[in-house]
Amino acid sequence: MTTLPKMKYREALAQAMAEAIEDPRVLLIGQGVTDFKGIWGTTTGLHQKFPKRVIETPLSEDGIAGICIGASLNGMYPINTHIRADFGLLIFNQLINLAAKYRYMFGGLFEVPLMFRMVIGRSWGQGAQHSQSFQSLLGHIPGLLVMMPSNPQSIIQSYRHARKHHKGPVVMFEHRLMYELEFESKPDQHLLNPFGSRIERLGSDLTIVATSVMVLEAIRAADYLSQHGINAEIIDLHSISHPDHDLIFNSVKKTGRLLVADTSWLPYGVAAEMSRIVAERDPSVLKRPIRSLGMQPAPCPTAKVLEDFYYPDVRDIVNASSSLVQQSEDHTIPLPPKQAMTDFYKHFKGPF
Amino acid sequence: MTENHHSYEKLFYEALRIRLVEEKIIALYPFDKIQSPIHLSIGQEAVAVGLCCQLKLNDWLFINYRGHAFYLAKGGPLPELFAELYGKRTGLSKGKAGSMHLAAPKQGVMGASAVVGSTISHAVGAALASKIRGEDRVFVTVFGDGATEQGAYHESLNFASLHNLPVLFLCENNGLAVHSPLGERQAFSLHAHSKAYGIESVVVKDGYDFVKLSKVCGDVLKQIRNKQRPMFLEIKTCRYKEHVGPGEDFETGYRELNEVRAWKSQDPLEIDKDLISRLTPEISEEIEAAVEFAETSSFPTINDLLTDVI
Repeated sequence: MTTLPKMKYREALAQAMAEAIEDPRVLLIGQGVTDFKGIWGTTTGLHQKFPKRVIETPLSEDGIAGICIGASLNGMYPINTHIRADFGLLIFNQLINLAAKYRYMFGGLFEVPLMFRMVIGRSWGQGAQHSQSFQSLLGHIPGLLVMMPSNPQSIIQSYRHARKHHKGPVVMFEHRLMYELEFESKPDQHLLNPFGSRIERLGSDLTIVATSVMVLEAIRAADYLSQHGINAEIIDLHSISHPDHDLIFNSVKKTGRLLVADTSWLPYGVAAEMSRIVAERDPSVLKRPIRSLGMQPAPCPTAKVLEDFYYPDVRDIVNASSSLVQQSEDHTIPLPPKQAMTDFYKHFKGPF
Repeated sequence: MTENHHSYEKLFYEALRIRLVEEKIIALYPFDKIQSPIHLSIGQEAVAVGLCCQLKLNDWLFINYRGHAFYLAKGGPLPELFAELYGKRTGLSKGKAGSMHLAAPKQGVMGASAVVGSTISHAVGAALASKIRGEDRVFVTVFGDGATEQGAYHESLNFASLHNLPVLFLCENNGLAVHSPLGERQAFSLHAHSKAYGIESVVVKDGYDFVKLSKVCGDVLKQIRNKQRPMFLEIKTCRYKEHVGPGEDFETGYRELNEVRAWKSQDPLEIDKDLISRLTPEISEEIEAAVEFAETSSFPTINDLLTDVI
């Protein structure tokens, strides 16, 4: 058997940016795109090659987002980076009041193709304002396409597709925790809808719908569960704003059990939306009530001991999955040791 | 070149046309056929006329919710304006925009937002795109004095100056943000402020004088083109009507009727009765035809509800 090529999440982003900037419509613009760190190495060297179109910015997120809309109206494809998604909150007026509505509000007179890259800053010690995941806030807004790619191939495929084919604003939530992780390529990935939800693993006992880095935790959990006779199906949601309802419902119909594992808070979030998809179509396919995992209902604490309680991990997924399948909180599956993702994915040495 | 040579009568015609359109809107408003909040430019027409007569077709204009005057002065079609106000499918935005979100991209009217100051940065971004492509175009953002208090305005001045972008920042200063006078809102001087960003500024105090405004705008735009630098132009003007709606609200006490009377005593559209009489019939005929177009057009249907979302 031939070895499949491997690639880091960061390398895929760098490749996507390098490919994009060759397109003369593309502006790569944001705080840090020209500096020596280059958005963790995803824009490094591009300013030297394309000095007019790789643009460092003042700390003016709101203004820059509007500048991106204006440039888009005038034929460019801006890619605006936010090294922490938390800073992206400063563009919400332009993103929600303007970009998301420019096509509809003017009856189709305008299109604003552009991309916002927002990095979920979670690693250790990022605290309340450097770690948040706002996908459900934006998934709520008509006119936006919101994606959470969970692997290098999804990045390359969906970033290219967005730039070449989508005529409106796209928000890409990247996850800092995955940047240095290496992934094996999958041979059939190119067959997938670039903006669609996808089956990450086939299974029969329960469906785990996961987002972003939680897809990796779900894979770890599924590997563990398989050793204990539980066969989990994993759906990588990928598209937050336009999840594949049929794919999700049909999987749940097959397994009868649904666990949602998201990177953010639960209320009004991805877990709530997945529950809506199933409940509105036919809740009778559920053999057990839906379970969901996300951040605890508080701002993120900085102290690592608290942070480790704050985020769900592989142990929580195994526990919830086992309860669902054995139909009891007192299931018989031994739990793996509690191990924070930042410890498991050993690349986080700091500083960040 | 027509620059700086627009005749009084030609400009008067354009300004009067805008006023008569808005007076027609006022007359129609009680019938509830226009179910869209209206922010009238009556009293401020000269600004739009003075500016737009100096703009080329591919010089883009970014406006706001008080946008009828700029839409018309830049060449936005009148029948489609009334249709848009009526919520008809033949409106330029098929009834989805209404009064507050006018746009006419073919004429370079690149959209109006109802969130104060939120299209200022769009002009800067459009200018950046043109500069990268090496085009000879000017981008104008029009906003009121209230918008200059927004952070996005400051951010836009900074970026436009830093990148030497051909942007005209045009402030229609009517001294009011909704009902709040400027003195209750601003601790800074508009001109000292733009100067701090290295942006040259010009002020015109008699903003009813469209001939003068046309000359000043022509001169300012020429400087922007030649120097490839942004400029700030403040035009003092006077809103005759209430912030939103067809009426007046002097009885509420937040502003002085005498100030508006003093302004009106200088406004050609108030005092040049002879020219008004001479030009009104032709304009009224155009307006009546536009209203008829709106009246007889179809409403959008449920099939239009979910088009152009994404």
